[in-house]
Amino acid sequence: MMELKVSDITEVLDCEIVRTLSNGSIIIRIGTEQHNLNLLKSENNEYEFILDHTFHHAKIIQSNSMETKTLIDGQPMTVKKHLKLTQVLGKSLSLAELGGGINSLTSQIPGRVVSVLAETGSPVKKGDAVVILESMKMQVAVKAHKDGNLKEIKVKQGAAVARNDVIAIIE
Amino acid sequence: MGSKISSILIANRGEIALRVIRACRELGIKSIAIYSDEDARSAHVKRADQAYHIGPATASESYLNINKIIEFAKRVGTDAIHPGYGFLSENEKFAEICEKNGIIFIGPKSKAMEVTGDKMKCKAIMIKARVPTIPGSDGIIEDVERAADVAHDAGYPVLLKSAFGGGGRGIRFANNEQQLRQEFEMASAESRAAFGKSALYVEKYLERIRHIEFQLIRDSHKNARHMFERECSIQRRHQKLIEMSPSPIVDKSTRERIGEIAVRAAAAVDYLNAGTAEFLRDQQGNFYFIEINSRLQVEHPVTELVTGIDLVKLQIAIAQGEEIPFEQEELKMHGSAIECRINAEDPFSDFAPSIGLVPNCNIPNGPGIRVDTYLYPGCTVSGYYDSLVAKLLSWGNDFEESRIRMKNSLYEFGIEGINTTIPLFKTIMNEQNFIEGNLSTDYLERFDIINKMNEDAKERSKKYSCAAIAAVLLQSEFGKRSGRRVSVGGARSDSGWKTIIGR
Amino acid sequence: MKKMAEGGGGEDKIESQHSKGKLTARERISLLLDEGTFIEIDKYVTHRSEDTESKKYYGDGVITGFGTINSRQVFVYAYDFTILGGSLGEMAGKKIVKVMDHAVKTGSPLIGIIDSGGARIQEGVMSLDGYGDVFFRNVMASGIIPQITASIGPCAGGAVYSPAMTDFVIMTENVSQMFVTGPEVVKEVLSQEVSFEELGGARTHASKSGVAHFVAKNEYDCMDKIKKLLSFIPQNNLEDPPLLETLDDANKIDPNIIKILPENPYEQYDMTQIIKSIVDSGEFFEVHELFAENILVGFARLGGRSVGIIANQPMYLAGALDIDSSNKAARFIRFCDAFNIPIVTLVDTPGYLPGTDQEHNGIIRHGSKLLYAYCEATVPKITCIIGKAYGGAYIAMGSKNLRADVNYAWPTAEIAVLGPEAAITIIHRKDLKQSTDARTIKKKLAKEFREKYANPYIAAEMGNIDLVIDPMETRPMIIRAIEALINKKESRPWKKHGNINL
Repeated sequence: MMELKVSDITEVLDCEIVRTLSNGSIIIRIGTEQHNLNLLKSENNEYEFILDHTFHHAKIIQSNSMETKTLIDGQPMTVKKHLKLTQVLGKSLSLAELGGGINSLTSQIPGRVVSVLAETGSPVKKGDAVVILESMKMQVAVKAHKDGNLKEIKVKQGAAVARNDVIAIIE
Repeated sequence: MGSKISSILIANRGEIALRVIRACRELGIKSIAIYSDEDARSAHVKRADQAYHIGPATASESYLNINKIIEFAKRVGTDAIHPGYGFLSENEKFAEICEKNGIIFIGPKSKAMEVTGDKMKCKAIMIKARVPTIPGSDGIIEDVERAADVAHDAGYPVLLKSAFGGGGRGIRFANNEQQLRQEFEMASAESRAAFGKSALYVEKYLERIRHIEFQLIRDSHKNARHMFERECSIQRRHQKLIEMSPSPIVDKSTRERIGEIAVRAAAAVDYLNAGTAEFLRDQQGNFYFIEINSRLQVEHPVTELVTGIDLVKLQIAIAQGEEIPFEQEELKMHGSAIECRINAEDPFSDFAPSIGLVPNCNIPNGPGIRVDTYLYPGCTVSGYYDSLVAKLLSWGNDFEESRIRMKNSLYEFGIEGINTTIPLFKTIMNEQNFIEGNLSTDYLERFDIINKMNEDAKERSKKYSCAAIAAVLLQSEFGKRSGRRVSVGGARSDSGWKTIIGR
Repeated sequence: MKKMAEGGGGEDKIESQHSKGKLTARERISLLLDEGTFIEIDKYVTHRSEDTESKKYYGDGVITGFGTINSRQVFVYAYDFTILGGSLGEMAGKKIVKVMDHAVKTGSPLIGIIDSGGARIQEGVMSLDGYGDVFFRNVMASGIIPQITASIGPCAGGAVYSPAMTDFVIMTENVSQMFVTGPEVVKEVLSQEVSFEELGGARTHASKSGVAHFVAKNEYDCMDKIKKLLSFIPQNNLEDPPLLETLDDANKIDPNIIKILPENPYEQYDMTQIIKSIVDSGEFFEVHELFAENILVGFARLGGRSVGIIANQPMYLAGALDIDSSNKAARFIRFCDAFNIPIVTLVDTPGYLPGTDQEHNGIIRHGSKLLYAYCEATVPKITCIIGKAYGGAYIAMGSKNLRADVNYAWPTAEIAVLGPEAAITIIHRKDLKQSTDARTIKKKLAKEFREKYANPYIAAEMGNIDLVIDPMETRPMIIRAIEALINKKESRPWKKHGNINL
């Protein structure tokens, strides 16, 4: 039995596969309701099934201990697991969102470094622009996420960065 | 006058290059594409009759590299160059070099482009041609008294703009003369500090404006036509998101009146080929000319759908010296069309750009649906160029039919691997003010559209939540196989591996 | 009774554990293993100490048992911090030893989760006994089953030696600490102030000491990394690593791979880009990422088969070999050899790092470990020289003479005793001294040297390089080599064990 929560929906639901019928149908329970599922295809993390008489195509994009990202009929849906444990881990999870650690300044967008505005070793304040990235003809500034000293700038002009890449370390 | 074109080099990429290639195909003209490192596997390269590698990914070294492009054009002996939109399409030097090298530039003459490119010069010509422009200064104002006079004539509130500074910088607002004098001093000082001189101009501030433009076409025999209007009020940061024709606010007589003005504007600058006259309409219904875009525009399909005319083929015909094949009265508007510009941006994360591989995509179809795109399953969206990946268009006998068709096809449109602005359009198609035609350039903020979009996304989540949970349950049940276990020689019961340590 | 056993040290202790942002041992096991597959053994064992002060707890502070991870049988033990601070007592030690024995008997991986205050003082020698027995089993099992240790909490004193002898250690940021002597004693004895994190936190051990192979961002990430790691390694040393059907074409060629190398051979580039271009789905699971960054080691798949990758990283120290990198690579090679994982080596190194620091700290000893490991390994060994390969470093990085099976080289490879610049200064010493324009002559001579001596065809003519390949074909060429060699069996004369220079 799994404890699942769909993002954007506040309820945490107990879910499980109840049983498999002889005709190939699977009965699943979501919360207090039972649903009938006819699995049509299951291959390479892609599933096609009929759930309560509606056809769906599901693709698992990414799955780890904390959550599973899927595409349901083209719509991105994230399902979070182990809710109680996530509560306990609370603080450490939000730190993890920041990439390499609380001191890492990460990029929110993919792009190329147009200019590095600050110098290694210089003090920065939260909100100061450290680096300018360019992507799809738009220029975006990556701003310091906290006050501190710019210990290291991990990129140089012309470098390509991906979403969530570490731009700099601020201590 | 004019010569038959047998080959066209398309100095552009993406969906517009594909568009021009298609027109070439129809006319039996050889299409020559150019591509940078990034675009080697792009759709337009696959479709063209010939394709040449033009340089590395950076635009300045490839699609903007005039010397290289002209060199190629001469080497392959192309008759004409179509610049598309963006890149070199409004670069009068490029047009001039084409002319000097005997290559037909499919667009206006360089002289006309020079005029339309200079806002102040253009405005002066328009005033002479009795084309209504935004009340304000004719040219640059150097002293505050002149500014006060102009502002008084135009009527407050006014905007004080710097002739050199671009974008939001340098635009100041003044509600009355006192404020104007204050702002003028500061703006002057800023301008002098930045550019060495005080170069400002005054413009009447228009509230609740609607952006309405007219498609123009003029040939080398001085025939000019307007091809009706497009309303492009829904914008974000001055970039158009949705265009439609007809405009809900333009009636038949206004259409004729402004259309005639637009045609006059085209003649005033001796325009040639396709272009667009842009107007702003204030709340009182006054139309003010802003500028002429001297190129084929992104939203040209909207006009194609309501007039039935292929604009690119028409461009090529005019470039060959032919006359426009229809009279103004013969041109009729039929039905209603809407275009949504699908960008590779994440509307839920402040429109952060999204690039990468598109492993799969499902292009919508059906009556009244047209999609101009370079996407195909397995293509890549590059970070070196702009974010427009597809133009989704719908046509219907009336606005309602075209709106519903657009709404449905937005749901059909599936693009995997990148984030797109499709959710934003889904919300707008259902939004009451859009349906009623209650538009203005501040539409997004005025009706809190972004928040509505977030709410709608949550609602949609609910619809798929059971299926999402089902998928997770299926994966945990059936998805756990991590690979075949392969044994190295022998069962465990004999030889035994404890003996590897000892004798 | 069952409830009591599962209740650990009591509600309040569980609260305390949670308030520190840590999960309990049972919660961790439930995250790690497949849903519903955990069978606990020795659930009701209690300590036998006569000390009436210490309460008796079921389980005695460690939870042991077996289950599956992605349908693979594993044995697991997890210290329970809520019971007597997770300290190890006699019975707890016996419990751990029992699962270790089971794991070895059945040939299943062993995973240990450490969250322990150390030995249980009240039990005296008997708790030290416990550790001793565990250490012995670690060694006996070493090379037979994969042993993974996850440190998600403190681990101090002698207890740290068990993780050190296991194959992989994963620490969790801000939660794990490992040290032989804690900060308080350090302060007392040496008057040195140092924080727990700085002395023995996850990042410290991952980057400075090399004790930790992985740093997990949080407990979820920790479990995910363990599962990912397991997907590359077999159940035991008699099995091949799991084969995964891959959608990535084994014949795929990458015409852009050569662009990763800069025009200028002295410019740095990122070797991971080349690795990602070659392996299945561009997935490279790096091990020891933050330690000895001048060499890269890690797991990947080629044609669905799990392989161990070793590659110089020109971005750090120009890819030179030194003490730490020799240690890092040698250990990784020996692990792969023990568990039938083919080894793929990518070479671009200018040599060994010079200097007194290296020499005095024994680069001679440590460097020899790398050579030893390559020679000792009998798994398929494939080497591809990408760029520079000078002198001893050329030999050390999986050269033919160390009995690599297939040696490829790119046309950009430079194999020489010394780099061109250094070489000509020695060879043409006299000429350069006498010349007026040493710089230009040097450049010319270096170029000549490069073309004459340092190009890979010379080595190829002698058979030290089997084939100079087109860079874009690197992936299919390596995959085909692995497929050809997968049934390789080498017999060596029996010996109790060699004498690797430790």
